Amino acid sequence: MATWNKHVAIGPPAGVGKGIGKAMKAAFQKDPKALAILEDMQFPEIEWFVDNMFDRMIECGIAEQNAACVAAALASEGFTPVINNFLFAGMGRAYNQIRQSILVDRFNVKFIAREGVWGEVGVSHATVEGWGSLRVLPNLMMINPADAVEAEKAATAMMQYIGPAVIKQEMSPDPLTIFTADYPFDLGKAYSLRDGKDATIIATGYMVTEAVKAVDLLEEDGLDVGVLNVSTLKPIDEEAIVAAAKRTGAIVTAENSSEINGLGDAVACVLCENLPTPLVKVGVEDEFGQSGLITEEKDELMEHFALSAKDVADAVKKCILKREALR
Amino acid sequence: MSHSDALVQELEAKAKVLVNHCLDQFCTFSQGHVGGTMSVLEIITALYFHHLKFDPKNPDWPERDRVVMSKAHCCEAIYAALVELGMYPEETLGTYYCYGSPFQGHADRWCTPGIDFSGGSLGQGLSFAAGLALSEKLKMKYNPPSRQDTFLPRYIVRYNPTYRTYCILGDGELQEGQVWEAAMFAAKFKLDNLIAIVDYNKWSLDGPTNDVMPIEPLVDKWKAFGWSVYEINGHEFHDILVTLDMVANQYGDNRPKVIIAHTVKGRGISHWEALHMHLGRGEEMMKGVREGRAKYGDME
Repeated sequence: MATWNKHVAIGPPAGVGKGIGKAMKAAFQKDPKALAILEDMQFPEIEWFVDNMFDRMIECGIAEQNAACVAAALASEGFTPVINNFLFAGMGRAYNQIRQSILVDRFNVKFIAREGVWGEVGVSHATVEGWGSLRVLPNLMMINPADAVEAEKAATAMMQYIGPAVIKQEMSPDPLTIFTADYPFDLGKAYSLRDGKDATIIATGYMVTEAVKAVDLLEEDGLDVGVLNVSTLKPIDEEAIVAAAKRTGAIVTAENSSEINGLGDAVACVLCENLPTPLVKVGVEDEFGQSGLITEEKDELMEHFALSAKDVADAVKKCILKREALR
Repeated sequence: MSHSDALVQELEAKAKVLVNHCLDQFCTFSQGHVGGTMSVLEIITALYFHHLKFDPKNPDWPERDRVVMSKAHCCEAIYAALVELGMYPEETLGTYYCYGSPFQGHADRWCTPGIDFSGGSLGQGLSFAAGLALSEKLKMKYNPPSRQDTFLPRYIVRYNPTYRTYCILGDGELQEGQVWEAAMFAAKFKLDNLIAIVDYNKWSLDGPTNDVMPIEPLVDKWKAFGWSVYEINGHEFHDILVTLDMVANQYGDNRPKVIIAHTVKGRGISHWEALHMHLGRGEEMMKGVREGRAKYGDME
């Protein structure tokens, strides 16, 4: 079995939403100016909020564009509004409102955005391109936690950070528990799960779970592969990425979203500018999501989009071959 | 309730000064949104030089009335008012559209103290204004003024919001769906501290607003959305002042208010009026500027 760095203890699966909900409860109790902006899409821990924070819930109905501008105005008056929705609705639908009314003036609005290829909801809700579309927007902090522990710490850090920020709640099977309770989460910093010698998998969100599984698969083939968890896509931790490339000379990126303008592209830019390194991207190729079922034996969508641990392991082998060919 | 002729004359004189300030800005690059700026000028004058709670020395005063210029392409009118209030030197007018200038092409809160809303992308202003109005309500709810702060009985406080929010909308802008999302929102949250003013100059960039996409029956629409509606001549100071006072005094009725101001695009400059000029450029616009200089006189 693979060995892991200090703050990693692989455990049973747990939902990222639970972690975010716990952090929100604590943040709302601590900060009397935090407001929940609802878009008829509930809120994490909604029952608790109805019982305890009812007068701090602003229900805006199915009108996301209006809600984004209302949130901007509330933030301009010193409140900390939090918007929870699917990414395509809460942020995609209100893209220009977020750009113009929130980001231009750096208003302190927080988003919880659900996105990813998994689920039965189909192409409208299982979007993969939204995360990349946000990456071009200035002033927006983007966080994608790997497990429930990191989700709670990241959401807490997001609420303490002053400025616009989004945390992604991925639509995926529940990720494994990756981190220990004393894991020191730092906004904007990547964390190395294990260093490795032969290659590094740079993963984000749910794909950290698949990367962890891939490490075991590759160990059977005698390969010692590192895993770097990049939970803050923007601003990205260039130093950690370059250090990983220096150490192993072969990089595979893994993300549960479109390959275009996501983590893979961000890492590629960092490497091309600092230390050109062979790189293989694992993610959704240029296509839309769709419905699919997960059963004990089979995950139809993981197979369709080639996002399983085996696909990550194959990508690592491919990348090592690339590196050898260049030598 | 009427206002003295002296006040009206004073504001009419101020409006002329503001026209000149606007002409200065149009000259910088021989370009400007002349039509909408001229049509909203009297409303801006009445707000900034009589009606608003606004301190030019302290533009971040928490109790100031908020002005959300949703039709932010006509920010020239507000820049003119800010200059006339002494917030910016007159030379700033000549930097309109320029790199590093506080007078950006569209109003920008981040770089222009005195501006409450970064606009330009139409349809967002009323939502932002509703958010500001809701903030006022929430602050009153969480932090009501104590008896020590005021000698008035508590129920009087209800008739004096900490601040009011004014939102200036264009008529073409009402074609944006988001405006009506905001209209529903304001009615739901009973934002009686919110006052929208529609600069109904009847013309958009492509042609007559009601041909481009009919917005009539406008009064019925706002009424159906739960707003109190007032119609005025947007160029008559008597009309504007009386209505603004009346609307302010309706505070406490739980209804947001809208003033539909009937105006003329390019008002006061016959050349621009005849062309219904929206975005003026080059010689066509400068012809109007020369007419304006002759008509309103160089005030310097």
